[in-house]
Order: sequence, then structure tokens, then C-alpha cells
Amino acid sequence: MMLPEPLLVIMAVCLPLLYPAMALRAAWERAMRYALPVLPLPALVLALGSEPGWQLEMPWLLNGGLWAVDGVRRLFLLLTAVLWMVAGIYAVGCLRPDHLRRFCVFWGLTLAGNLGLTVAVDIGSFYSFFALMTFAGYGLVVHEGTNEAIRAGRVYLVMAVLGEMAILTGLLLASAAAGSQMLADLPEAIAASPRRDLIMALLIAGFGVKAGLPLLHFWLPLAHPVAPTPASAVLSGAMIKAGLLGWLVTLPFGEVAMPGWGALMIVAGAVGAIGAAVLGVCQQRPKAVLAYSSISQMGLMVLMVGVALADSGRAPVLFSVIALYALHHGLAKGSLFLSAGVSLPAGAMRRAVVWLLIALPGLSLAGLPFTSGALAKLAMKEGLLENRLEFALAGYLSPLMTAGAVATLLLILRYLWTLSAKLGTGHNPPMLVAGWLAAVGVSLVAFWWMPWEAGGLVESPVWLPAPYQLWALVWPMLIALGLALLTLWASRLVKQR
Amino acid sequence: MTLNTWIPVLALMTSLIASLVIFALPEKGYRLRTAVNLGAALLKLGLVVVMVWGVFRGVGYGVSFTMVPGVTFVLKADAFSMMFAGLSAVLWLLTTIYAVGYLEDSPNRSRFFGFFSLCVASTMGIALAGNLFTFFLFYEMLTLSTYPLVVHRGTEKALKAGRTYVIYTLTGGAVLLLAIAWLHGVVGDLPFREGGHFTGSDPDIHRSLTLIFILLVAGLGVKAAIFPLHGWLPQAMVAPAPVSALLHAVAVVKAGAFGIVRVVHDVYGVDASSALGLLEPLAWLAAFTIIYASVRALWQVDLKRRLAFSTVSQVSYIILGVSIFGPVAAVGGLVHLLHQGIMKITLFFCAGNYAETLGIHRIDEMDGAGRRMPGTSVAFTIGAFGMIGAPPLAGFITKWTMGSGALAVNMDWVVVVLVASSLLNAAYFLPVLYRLWFRKPAAHWPHERQWGRLETSAWLFWPPLLTAVMTVMVGVLASLPFSPLSWAELIVLREYSP
Amino acid sequence: MTLWLMAGLLFTPLAWAVLTLLMNFTWGRLVTWVGIVVQVLVSLGLWLAVSRDGGFYYGLGGWEAPLGIELRVDGLAVTFVLLTAVVASACGWHAGVYIDADKPWHRYFWPLFWFLWSGLNAVWLGGDLFNLYVGLELISLSAVGLVALGGKAGALRASIRYLLAALLGSLAYLLGVALIYGQFGTLSIAGVVFWLEEHPVPAGSSLALALMVTGLALKTALFPLHRWLPPAHGIAKSPVSALLSALVVKASFYIAARLWLELGEPLGNLAAAQLVGLLGSAAIVWGSWLACRQLELKQVVAYSSVAQIGYLFLLFPLTYSVSESVTLQAQQGITLQVISHALAKAAMFLAAGNLILSTGSSRVDALKGVSRFLPFSLFSFGLAGVSLMSLPPSGGFAAKWLLLQASLGSGQWWWVLVLLVGGLLSAAYVFRIYRASFLESSETDHFYHPPRSLEIIPMILALLSLGLGLVSAEVLSVMALPFEEEGSP
Repeated sequence: MMLPEPLLVIMAVCLPLLYPAMALRAAWERAMRYALPVLPLPALVLALGSEPGWQLEMPWLLNGGLWAVDGVRRLFLLLTAVLWMVAGIYAVGCLRPDHLRRFCVFWGLTLAGNLGLTVAVDIGSFYSFFALMTFAGYGLVVHEGTNEAIRAGRVYLVMAVLGEMAILTGLLLASAAAGSQMLADLPEAIAASPRRDLIMALLIAGFGVKAGLPLLHFWLPLAHPVAPTPASAVLSGAMIKAGLLGWLVTLPFGEVAMPGWGALMIVAGAVGAIGAAVLGVCQQRPKAVLAYSSISQMGLMVLMVGVALADSGRAPVLFSVIALYALHHGLAKGSLFLSAGVSLPAGAMRRAVVWLLIALPGLSLAGLPFTSGALAKLAMKEGLLENRLEFALAGYLSPLMTAGAVATLLLILRYLWTLSAKLGTGHNPPMLVAGWLAAVGVSLVAFWWMPWEAGGLVESPVWLPAPYQLWALVWPMLIALGLALLTLWASRLVKQR
Repeated sequence: MTLNTWIPVLALMTSLIASLVIFALPEKGYRLRTAVNLGAALLKLGLVVVMVWGVFRGVGYGVSFTMVPGVTFVLKADAFSMMFAGLSAVLWLLTTIYAVGYLEDSPNRSRFFGFFSLCVASTMGIALAGNLFTFFLFYEMLTLSTYPLVVHRGTEKALKAGRTYVIYTLTGGAVLLLAIAWLHGVVGDLPFREGGHFTGSDPDIHRSLTLIFILLVAGLGVKAAIFPLHGWLPQAMVAPAPVSALLHAVAVVKAGAFGIVRVVHDVYGVDASSALGLLEPLAWLAAFTIIYASVRALWQVDLKRRLAFSTVSQVSYIILGVSIFGPVAAVGGLVHLLHQGIMKITLFFCAGNYAETLGIHRIDEMDGAGRRMPGTSVAFTIGAFGMIGAPPLAGFITKWTMGSGALAVNMDWVVVVLVASSLLNAAYFLPVLYRLWFRKPAAHWPHERQWGRLETSAWLFWPPLLTAVMTVMVGVLASLPFSPLSWAELIVLREYSP
Repeated sequence: MTLWLMAGLLFTPLAWAVLTLLMNFTWGRLVTWVGIVVQVLVSLGLWLAVSRDGGFYYGLGGWEAPLGIELRVDGLAVTFVLLTAVVASACGWHAGVYIDADKPWHRYFWPLFWFLWSGLNAVWLGGDLFNLYVGLELISLSAVGLVALGGKAGALRASIRYLLAALLGSLAYLLGVALIYGQFGTLSIAGVVFWLEEHPVPAGSSLALALMVTGLALKTALFPLHRWLPPAHGIAKSPVSALLSALVVKASFYIAARLWLELGEPLGNLAAAQLVGLLGSAAIVWGSWLACRQLELKQVVAYSSVAQIGYLFLLFPLTYSVSESVTLQAQQGITLQVISHALAKAAMFLAAGNLILSTGSSRVDALKGVSRFLPFSLFSFGLAGVSLMSLPPSGGFAAKWLLLQASLGSGQWWWVLVLLVGGLLSAAYVFRIYRASFLESSETDHFYHPPRSLEIIPMILALLSLGLGLVSAEVLSVMALPFEEEGSP
């Protein structure tokens, strides 16, 4: 690399952080709009070009600042940068001129928070960026100014503030137990602390609000659909993962097995994965369906977090899987959200291509072979193999994953169905198309060149599943397809009567 | 007498002399008055900076003489007094700039600025006072010099507020005087000393000491607006904005809080206060005040009244921090003395800007003001988030430090109080921010004035922005030397290991 | 040298009085202003002499007691002499500008002023009971005359009432003096003390003391004998009110205090001391309360005098059968109270006069909006008020501090409450005036601007009373000087 990493990381965070200053002059509004895609560029370079292992110490910052990127953080950073970039391109095309500067300000701040929390290693700056992202995200949610958006914003804010407080308390307790201001020292201290359960509860609940943990998810299906489309994409694709990252860096994985908490998380994940699907298929609006799909997918990740908690030995392996899954889901979900805003072209052939491009990331989510989804699903299956796990609920994991896959596809089908009723024919702004295509492209193609690591979990060549795996991937999809057709037929029948 | 004995006196005199000069100036001497005001403020800031540097290196500044037989008048600069003096010097400068703009074309400006400077001189005296007697002297002077500021508008409402203010503060002053005189009768003239005087004191006087402590806190608690002695503060909101800013951020409430810290740390000593069992009830009282005032703030529709209740709540943080028996929590309390000052003055400046530029006083009139006055509103937003305790702003550093300190001495309930207070703060600040930024503005503002290029007069525009930047900086750069946090650590280091 | 100083203090005022009696107002004023300079210089000279060499007894004209005029020149006396010089010259200066030269009867102001001054000096320095009586009568009569100068029917009525009270007080005092002379055969206080050291206390001598103190209390307007004071002080010309409140009432109190300090221990008893203290407390509360309710500005100030006089009488309980240090604190406190009240009250009356002059009305609510037009006089009034409220750094505060210490030290904690409540009550009436003046009236009234010199005088007095607290240790140190005992009989 030409640039040393510390400089790059400062640029990565400070560029979006200072970008809102452009709003001071009305004349710069246009420049502001076109600057949107550039903001995550340093972060992208950092994620792609640097090897983990460096760190930036800033003893003057808060209670002593330390920024660094390790393997897991690198994947999250990559996801964040890529998604915000494609959404930024898309935003250039789709934004309406009213309140444009306000939107850009919140966009920049939210992005700064999202990137910053990914690279922060000390508690102070991590929590600062987390809070920045939360509060600035409110501006994105309510941007449209409709009553619905305002209501969603209110729910978002109330839950977010409660979540922030839970995190603050949890971090405070953990930090006091550790006697340190670094995140890396927390897991060990939490595991040894007499207040372990309280801290765990606070951190799980606090980050759970962001991650859409069941019962803490209420804001999510309200907020994601009402935000402007690019904002929905980053909300659902990147910001939701911040909660996940929060868990990964604070909870005591690998320190001591906690079957109780693990079981709780597994149950929560299962409830999220299946329950969200049930609620999701009843939704009328495509973006609401996608929001529930996000909850459902996060449920699967929660499930893996639960397993990692329950079985301390498997935690390192599962970390890679979770990060991989998060990356895959973020990109695919981002593409899906962005597709909700495109208009169909006129010709039938073109329409078919567009529909295909809309559907493919969805099917990838469901684990379509030769996609990133297949890889992620297989990695997950490998990670959760029953015979390698040692706790009570291990036997239920496999059926749960299958059910999850069925649920995923059902939701995608529901999404396509509702979308088909909504998408109109018309001309798309070029930047909008560019953003969307970039998203789809990244999700389907560029993924394979990204520096994910699923060391030894999936047989090489990874993108070509073995036959037995193929079947494992496909049969839940067939069930879902069957169910969907059944429903379609039934609804026709009902309509005819 | 060397230069070192004269510097505290000079720091005191700059504002005192400025005040007398301003009183003598004719009402129309606008430029000269402004020049005197700003010159004195800058001079004082310079003197304080010199003293801060000196105190850091361990130089002693001080002067004393016998005033009444048996008691001495002592001016002395130690680390803690420099904290308060620094705060008042910096914010005086900004508030003066602000007030010049705020009071443009209004009557009685000579009177206003004269008393304003007198008020700052008193604050300086409070900061530099070297014993309780001297402290009391300036404490009462502060009461007197702020009264004309509170009633400055001369309306019935203002006079009523002034009356309440005087009744509260003078009664508090009487109680304080009784306590100080009693203490003097029991143990004689005690200078403020790090570590206090009563560690291992004679058990015979413990009962007296306890009673005196209660009286001292009651007397000082009036200005510090501890429940149930806070009633004057929301009423005093009728004063012009620079006054409320100064009253609430720097001078009056802080004088009370400063006094309580002095009593606990430098008269009784934390060990002795703790051994006498005085700290725990004080902590509970402060905690209750924090919650109670926040709840009251929720129901206020007038912006400044809401801010006032917020002040009541926030000042008790200082007291809470000091009454937790542990160094880290004490750092949290002390640092809030500065943090709260900077944040609250930002909010009051902004409230004043809204009132002066758009005629907005009530919260429900603030819809969409963010677009009309973005600079002010950004400052307001930063201040409000600071109050909530959102990182990385000043308020977060306070809460984090105080929370860590409380946990270190196993007072877990303090964390609950901190979190509850943050939630309540969010509950009464976030709706305001929402109105500012996301509501559509009303067709026309209640009373709009135009100022050309900037959203408001330049005198009014820059001070809140500067304090907002400071709010961010003292948080983000908390670990730099000479940051409020580092300075508070220095104070506590000297207090806990004298 | 001392002879000249003594003569200058006691007899030149009489000479000025006679001289001005023969002149019209304008010439009288000129003579007075020259005289003031002389008097101030002489007073200062005596003060310097005493502060350098200590106090002494002085038989005037070389005649020793009991026949001659015996003077007791100690630190306290010279302090009061100097105080008188300051306050009286301020009032004289102010009066020269303030009082209307056109009214023919106003020319009598100057002779009365000088008689008053000489009477005051006689009382401060007087060493025997009869001379004190003479000085007191001189003061009372000239004061009555000054009140009557107000000219209106109300002023005459008030002065007659004052005269009656003064005569009644004198009568009681004289009766007591006669009893003392009958029992001890001497009129010198020092002589009585000397006698008492050798002999047992004769029966009935307590009655003599009680009679004298009662008479003096009436002249000092101690509650409940205060009814004559507010009308007289309220209706007189402002400089006159200032003189009366600042100095005249202090003269009778000074005698009472002297008697008590010298004779209280043998002749008094605890109940009497507490009773006087109680009456003083009642005066504080009742006077302040009434001051809060007055509609006229000068009445407020006058009732404030009633209240402030109450503090003085706390001397009695706080010096009776208590330790040496408490007695000292109480004495110092009361002395400071006398001085600071004199300065503050004079400043207040003079400032009130200016305010009345400019608003054209003597009512409190006429002050509305005056803060915009007459901030200087108002400020003087306010500063004087600070001292009356006994807030720091005024002399009133230093006095209150010492009295608090004395009360706590003697275990008589109830006076602590009185002191604190008294301070708050005085704040109530002072702030009432502030409040009225800060009120903005919509109609811009026309205000008359008094001459600058009228405004400066009360300001000087107010600043003196305010600064007294800061230098009270120095002021009190003069009183603690050694007293040259060989002059004593």
C-alpha cells in the first residue's frame, strides 16, 4: 500500500464525519450529492488493501483511543464500505431535491459512525461511533416526513435510546470489572465477573435492539420500509450488523462455555428466523417483507452466536462463519432493497433480465447453488455439525436451519410477488441503475474475490457444491416453492369463489 | 509583596474595576463600554492562564490579612479554585460578547454590564477564596450583584422572580452564615486545605460537626438548587438570556456546588466526612434531585424553564460525584463542574438566539427552526446530546467517569441513577431536537428580525458555536493534559493524597 | 497641644454656632464649611494623637474632678469623635446644597447644627454623669429644633412629640443621676467604680441604674419607647434625618452602654440584661416589620433605624456575666454596628432625599423607573442597604459576625436567631425599595436631576460603611489601645 494504514483509517472515519460541513453553503448542494459515493472510498481501500495487524494509538482521545482492524473487523469493514458505496451511487440517482442537504448530513454522520465503530478497539470510541450511528440514523428513517415515517422514527428512537443505555451500562460494568478501557479486555473480565449474567443480559439486549433480536425488533419493520430506498439498504444491510459486531467483540466467547445463554440465544434466533418469516409473508409492502427477511436472517446469525456462546471451543470457527454470513447477507439484502426502487424497462426481454437480476440476490439468500448464499449456508452447516458440538440443543440445529432456509425462500417469493404488483414501467436515472447493478454485481460476482475466510469449512472449489451438498441446498427450496405455489393456487381458488 | 501575591488580587480586581468604570460610563458610550468589557475579560483570562500554569507547577499564589478580629480574609489559588476561575474567565468572555449583541438597543445597559462584571468579580472571589469566611463574603456579594440582573427587564414577572430569588438565596445565606460562625466558634478559623481538617478529630465535637455540615449543605444547597431548595431557579428564567446563561452555567448554581465541594474536600476532608456518615445521605439527596428535576423538566413547555430544570438536575451530578467516597467518582463530579457549565451555556445561548431572532420562547414554536438558524441549532443539538450523555461529548465523560467510580466503590445504584437520568434527559431533549430539524416551520415566526448575511447577529452567532465546539473538544480530547478531565484528576490526586 | 485639641472639639463648635446665629443662610453656610474643615482636622488630630500615645483622662482647664469637667479620652471616644466629624461634615455639606436658602427660618439650621455637634463631642468625651447630661440636653434641644425646621404643621407636631419624649427621658436620667450622687457622693463614673471596689453595693443603687438606662432608652427609641422616632426622622429635612438617625440616637445609647459596662456587673442583674436584650430583639423584628409596611420612603428608613437600634441593645445580655473574650467580641461588634449604622443610615437618608427631590414624591411607589434616571443615588442607597442587611463586606456584616461569635461563645444561642432573622427582615424592606426602583414604567416621567455634589456625598458615606468591614480589624485596634491610668482619680 502507498498510504500507511493509520492515515488511511483516519481518512476513512473523518471524511464522512467532516463531509456534513459542506451543508453550510447552499451552493455546494450539488457537489454534496455527487460526493455521496466517494465517502466510503478510503474505508474500502483500507479493507481491501491492508493486512490486519496494525493499530493506531491515540492516547489523547477520550479515555485513550485505539483503532485497529483484525480479521472479523476487516470483513465487517468491507461490507460496510461496499454497501454504503453502492447505496451512495444509487442515492445520487434517486434522491429528490427537497431536504437534500439534510439527508446528506445524516448520511455522512451515520456512515462515519458505522465505519468508526468497526475499526474502534477502545470502549470510548466504539461506543461513541455506535451512538453517532444510532442517532444520525434517525435522520435517515424519518427523512420522508410522512406520518408513518415519523411514527417509525419515534419507535426507532425510543428503542435505540433504551438500547444505548443498556449498552452503556453493560460496558460500564464490564469496564469496571476489567479495569481497562479496551474492548479486547472485556470478554475475559466478563467471564470472571460476579456480575456476569447482568452484564451479559445488558449487552445482549443492548446490541440486540440493533440486531433485531425478537421482541426487540419492533422498530425494524417500521423503520426500514419508510426510509428512502438507499437508506433502507444500508440500514438493513450494514447497520443491523453493527449489533452483531457488538456481540462478537464484547461477549465472552471462547472464555468459558455458557450453555444457558447459548440456549437462550439459540431459541431467540430460531424464534426470529421462523417467526419473522410467518409475519413477513403476511406483509403487503415489498420493503416490509424485506425487513422481516432481515430479522429472519439475523435470527440465523443469532443462532450461530448462541452456539458459539454455548460451546466455547467452536467459537473461533463460528466467528469466521458468522462474519462470512453477515457479509453475504448484507450484500444480498442491500441489492434486494435497492431493487425495490427501480422501474421496469419497456421491452419484454429487458424486463425478464431485470426481473432475473432482482430475483438472483434473493435466491442467493435462500442458498441457490453457485451463489454466495450457497457458500454461506454450507459453511454454516459445517460449523453447526451436530457431532462436533457438545450441548443439549445441538440436535435441533439442523432442522432449524432447514426451516430457516424454507422461510427465507418463502419471504423472497413473497417479496417478488408484492414487488411485481408495485413496480411500474418507466425510465430510471442512470446513477440509480448504476448503483443497483453495482450492488447486484458485488453480491453475485465480486463476492468471490473478497478476502473472506472460511478456512477448511467448505470443500474447494467452494462455489461448486458437491452433489450431496447440492441436494441439501435444493430440497428446502423446493419445499418453499411448493408451498408458494400451493398458496398461489389457494388464493386463486378463494378469489374465484 | 511579590507578584505572586498580587496576581489573584489583580484577577479579582479586573472585573471589579471594570464594573465601576462601566457604572460611571454614560449610557450612550457603546464602543467604550464594549472595549472595557472585552478588555477586562481578556485581561482576566490571561491572568487565569498564568495562574493555571503556576498552580500546575506548584507555585503558591495568595494574599491574606485580618479582616475582623479572629478571622482572616484569604485569597489563594489552588487547583480546584483554578478550575472554577478558568470556567468563569472563559465563559465570561463569551457571555460578554453575547450580551453585547443581545442587549443592542435595549435600555439600562450601563447598569446591566456593571452588575454583570460585579457578578463575575464575585465568582472570581468565590473561586479564589481561601477560607469559608472569605467564601461567604463573595457568596453574598454574588447574590446581591445578580439580583439586578434577574430583575433587569423590570416587568412584574421579573420582579416576582427576583423576589423569590432573593428570599431563597438570602435565607440560604443566613443559614450558611450561622454554620460558618458556629464552625468558627467550635474550631476557629480554618483555611481550605486539601485533605481537610477533621481526619481523626476529637469525638466530642462530632455532633456539632454533623449539625454544622447539615447547615452548610442547606445554606449552599440553595444556590446549588438541591431539592427542595431549587424553587427559585426556574423562576429566575425571566432574566435576559446572557444572565440565565451565566446564572445557570457559571456563577450562581456553580457557586453553591463549588462551596459544597470545598466543604467536603477542603474543610471536612473526604475521610472525615465519610467517617461522620455525612456523604451517603448527601449522595441520596443529590440522586433524588437528579431524577426529580428531570421528571419535572419533562412537563415544561417554556424552553428556558425546561433548561432550568435540567440545570437543577445536572448540578446535582457534581454533588453526587463528590459525595461518593472514591477518587474516580470525585473526578467525575468535579469535571462536571466544567462540563455542565460549557454545555448549559451553549443551550442558553441558543435559547436566547431563538428568542431574540425569531421570538421563540415556547418549545412548540420551535418547529423547523433548524432550517432558519442552522448554526444555532447545531450548537443546540450538540449541547442537548452532551446533556443526554451521548459520547463522545462532555456529558459522556462525566457519566462514564462517575459510573466507573461508583462501581469501584460498590455503589451500583449510582449507575441506575445515571442511566435513568440519561433516559429522562433524552426524553425531554430529543422531542425538541425533532421539532427543530424535522418539523415543517410555521408560516411565520412569532417575532422575526433580520441580520443580513448570518442567521442572526454575529455577536450572538459565534459564542454558542464556540461553546459547542468546546463541548465536543473537552469530550473528544479528554485525555490531553490540561483538559478538564486531567485537571480534575490533578485536583483529586492532591485531595486524596495530600 | 491637647488643650487646643480639646478646646477645638468642645468650644469652637459653640463659637461657630454663635457666629452663624448672626448671619443669613448663605453666609452661615460659608462659615460652616470653613468650620467643618477645622473640625475635621481637629478630630483627626486627636484621633492620631490617641492612636499614637493611647488614651488618657483630661481635666479641662486643669480642674480635677469632682468639680471640673473631666474628659475621658480613650480609643472608643476618639473613634466616635471622628465618626461624628465625618457624618456631620457630610450632612453639613449636603445641607448647604439641599436646603432652600429662600425660606427665612432655614438660617437657624446652622446654629442648631453646631450646637448639636458640640453636644455630641461632649457626650463622647464626657467622663462624669452631669456633664453627660448637659451634652445630652444640648443634643436633644438642638435636634428638636432641627426637626421643627421642616416647617410644616406635621413637622411641628413631630418635634413637639420628640421634645416631650426627650424631656421625659432626661427627667428619668436626671433622677437616676441624683440617686447615684446621693449614694456615692460623686458624679464621675470612674469615681463610682472606684467606690464600688472598696464598699459593698448599697441598696437601691440598681434602681438608679435602671432609671438612667430607661431614660436613655427612651431617648434612643428602644422598643416599645420608639413611637416618637419615625415621625420625627421621617418628616425632618433629609440631612437632619441623617444627623438624627446616625448620631443623635447613638449619643444616648453611648451613655447607656458606658454605664452598663462600668456599673452593670455590680449593679445590674441577669433578668434585666436579658430583658433589655429581649426588647432589642423585639425592636429588630417589629421595626423591620413596620418598615416593610410603610408607604413613604423616609418612613421606611426611619423604621429601619428603630430596628437597627435594637441590635445595639444586645450589648446588655452579651456582656453580663460572660467570659472576657465574649465581652470583648460583643463590645467590638456593637461598636462596629454603631459606626456602620451611622454611616449607612446617613447615606441612606441623604440618598433618599435625593430620590425624593428628583421624583417629587416621597412615596415608595413613585420610584418606579427611577433606576434609569438616577442610578447614582439609587446605587448609594443600595450600598447603604447592604450594610443594613449586614451582608459582607460591610461594617454591618463584621458587626453581625462578632455578635454571632459572642452569642455562640456565651451560649446564648437565641440571639443568633434574632440576628439572622433581623438580617432577613432588613433585606425584606431594603429589597422592597430596590424592587420599586427596578420596575419599568411605560410612561417616561420627568425626573429632576439633583446637583452632582448631592449625589456624591451619600455615595462616599455608603462606600465607607461598605468598606468598614474590610478594615474593621484596624478600626477596632484603636479602641484596644492601652489606657493611661494615672489620670484616673
